[in-house]
Amino acid sequence: MRRPPARRALTAGVAGAAAGMLLLSACSAGESVDLDGSDGGATGASDLPVLRAAIAGEPDQLDPQSTSSYFAFQVLENVFDTLVEPDENLEMQPALAESWEVSDDQLTWTFHLRDGVTFHDGSDFTAEDVVYSYDRIIDEELSNAWKFASVTDVEAVDDLTVDITVSQPTPNLLSNLGGFKGMAIVEQANVESGDITTAPVGTGPFSLASYSPGESIDLVANPDYWGGEPGVGGVHFTFVSEGSTAIAALQNGEIDWTDSIPAQQLEQLQGADGVEVGTSPSNDYWYLALNEAHAPWDSVAARQAVAYAIDRESILQAVSYGTAQENQLAIPEDSVWYTEYDEYDLDLDRARELLAEAGVTTPLTLNFLATSDYPETVTAAQIIASNLEPLGITVDIRTVDFATWLDEQNTGSFDLLMMGWLGNIDPDDFYYAQHHSDGGSNAQGYSNPEVDALLDAGRVETDTDARQELYAQAATTIADEASYIYLYNPSVIQAWSTDLQDYTARSDRAIRFRDVTLAGS
Amino acid sequence: MTGSGALRFLARRVLHSAVVLLGVMVVVFALVHLVPGDPVRIALGTRYTEESYQALRAASGLDRPLLEQFVSYVGHALTGDLGVSFRSGEPVTTTLLQRLPATVSLAVVGLLIALAISLPAGIWSGLHEGRVSDAVVRVTSQAGVSVPDFWLGQMLILVVAMTLGLLPTSGYVALSQDPAGWARHVLLPGLTVGLVAAAIMTRYIRTAVLEVAHAGHVRTARSKGLSPRVVTGRHVVRNAMIPILTITGIQLATILGGVIVVEVVFAWPGLGRLVFDAVAARDYALVQGAVLLIAVLFLVVNLVVDVLYSVVDPRIRLS
Repeated sequence: MRRPPARRALTAGVAGAAAGMLLLSACSAGESVDLDGSDGGATGASDLPVLRAAIAGEPDQLDPQSTSSYFAFQVLENVFDTLVEPDENLEMQPALAESWEVSDDQLTWTFHLRDGVTFHDGSDFTAEDVVYSYDRIIDEELSNAWKFASVTDVEAVDDLTVDITVSQPTPNLLSNLGGFKGMAIVEQANVESGDITTAPVGTGPFSLASYSPGESIDLVANPDYWGGEPGVGGVHFTFVSEGSTAIAALQNGEIDWTDSIPAQQLEQLQGADGVEVGTSPSNDYWYLALNEAHAPWDSVAARQAVAYAIDRESILQAVSYGTAQENQLAIPEDSVWYTEYDEYDLDLDRARELLAEAGVTTPLTLNFLATSDYPETVTAAQIIASNLEPLGITVDIRTVDFATWLDEQNTGSFDLLMMGWLGNIDPDDFYYAQHHSDGGSNAQGYSNPEVDALLDAGRVETDTDARQELYAQAATTIADEASYIYLYNPSVIQAWSTDLQDYTARSDRAIRFRDVTLAGS
Repeated sequence: MTGSGALRFLARRVLHSAVVLLGVMVVVFALVHLVPGDPVRIALGTRYTEESYQALRAASGLDRPLLEQFVSYVGHALTGDLGVSFRSGEPVTTTLLQRLPATVSLAVVGLLIALAISLPAGIWSGLHEGRVSDAVVRVTSQAGVSVPDFWLGQMLILVVAMTLGLLPTSGYVALSQDPAGWARHVLLPGLTVGLVAAAIMTRYIRTAVLEVAHAGHVRTARSKGLSPRVVTGRHVVRNAMIPILTITGIQLATILGGVIVVEVVFAWPGLGRLVFDAVAARDYALVQGAVLLIAVLFLVVNLVVDVLYSVVDPRIRLS
């Protein structure tokens, strides 16, 4: 089963809220002396400088198939490879597999693996490693096992060929296999020795040199990387949860890159000397969901009334300082799967009509389940409470910690909740689990046979245009019936020194350092 | 104090500490089991299924009777086995020991800075009650007590690290790896902790000195015509050492227990931040272990302070 946005928001959010208000505006210390150049820890295998990156929190562990922490994936993106991988436009490109073909009946995928690839410990990468990695996810029912739902067999034909058999046509198999490093190819010996949690061995552009818990992780460039030797000697990751500290360190020349940035400091950071800011609308989305097991929210009109009564623009400003992008469906505008939709404008008269139509009698109390671990849910809850007041609906905000939140979501003890979804690449990831009657994350209890049929058809439709049409129809129906009330896609916000070249902030939040170079150091 | 007397004193104090420690273990153990919400259920989160629930419950021993669980927990803890972290799968003891050097570094540097400021300031202020210098010290320390440590930390980063460019903004370097790097990195967080502690300690020390200065024996000493230097050194300061030791011990133990906000601001890998992260992640084994370690640190500091009492004032015995 899937998780909401990983823990990245947690530490940064809690600590950032208080101290983030502090002004750093007065100083532009771009010219400060860098006393800290010796701080890199790792010396690269080559003479190239080591990139110093500050991420907002510490990985819980380094096994890519077991962790669900975004902090772990920031590091592991540079250590592991997948069979295929998304390019900047999120289209799937060859990685460990050089090419692939699908049988005529669409049920067998044959992958041809890259020759001469080795793991960081020198052992050869072969088809058996692919079989082992995928079997491990399936057999141990790791959290990504659902991505293999249609897979019936993974088989090594020879050292460099792997066959994957599926029970039904699976057009999104490539994005399932390569969408993120949770599907990485791992090494059997590394897993069985248990070392993978602290000393992972991959095939990626950097290998792990050392890990000091609480402090830092050092990667060193892999000179034998199949994609060519990286442009920096290594990467020194530190964990700086306090955004203002990370920004100070960046402006002071102590680090070269960070994504530990409070949204409210974005504007002044954009004007700072020697600093480049990269933003990109992300694939994550934030939504509201009304519990359809609780009357009157089983009525479409009642749910629509709420959708017409909320002030999206205010919520957006309050939670993201205007950095997020308003969206009334899940998939962001720059995706090829985007569908235009802007039905819900703020319209209290319409909301009142709909409530009357649903036969709702006011005053009415609505229980809003928020969590302090994601402060945006608390902020938005306060705005929504004042939005719904004129309708005679009193919003009772309950703020709990995230573990309790999950528990209460699953047991249905809420009328309304807000949460984010760590978006993936294929539209199936955005809609199936949440809105199919049998969906694993359908806590609101939405069920519409027509939508079920569309989502089922989307899973097996191999013609891209036809697929697009199916999902557009499903998505607009879901929004029309307010199964989710979609709010916005947050932005990916990262900042780096102008010495760092060829780096791109990606909408899937993958942090890739293999092609970057560092000038002037 | 005779040699055997000192040993007996020490033995009784250690026994005393052991009893307190057992109490701490009972409380920590009970808390984990009494807190609303099932830790196993919470650990599984969205991955919850009946089978995985039963499996994890059995694996973590939570299906056994409470008393049995407690006995086994204490037994393991005594051998240094504090269990395994839910999240990382690493032994809790290993994780805690990795964090200890950073915590001790920060505590020692912070306390030294605090003592360097508060001892002279507090004694001077106490001996010059009502003078302008006393007022200056009182106002300054009152201001110091009122300043939040995260604000002070941010200001130090702003001024010392960014504007003056004298020290790094954040991070940690092990003393064993690079002593100079360690010193440069520990100074700003140490200063933050030290300044806040100094403000508190100055006020205590001033009060302690004042109390002694007004005591009967000091008046007697003065009236005997002893020089002010002798009165101050032998009678006032010496007798004020007991409350000074007490507040120093409390401050040291507090800093060792984790100065969470300072550690977060300076990205300092100490115990405070570890506990903060572990609580947020519901990593109960780690929380339990960390609380136990902090309790042990408190007890050790208290023990040392008690022993020092009898050094400073031979009349003091364990009552």
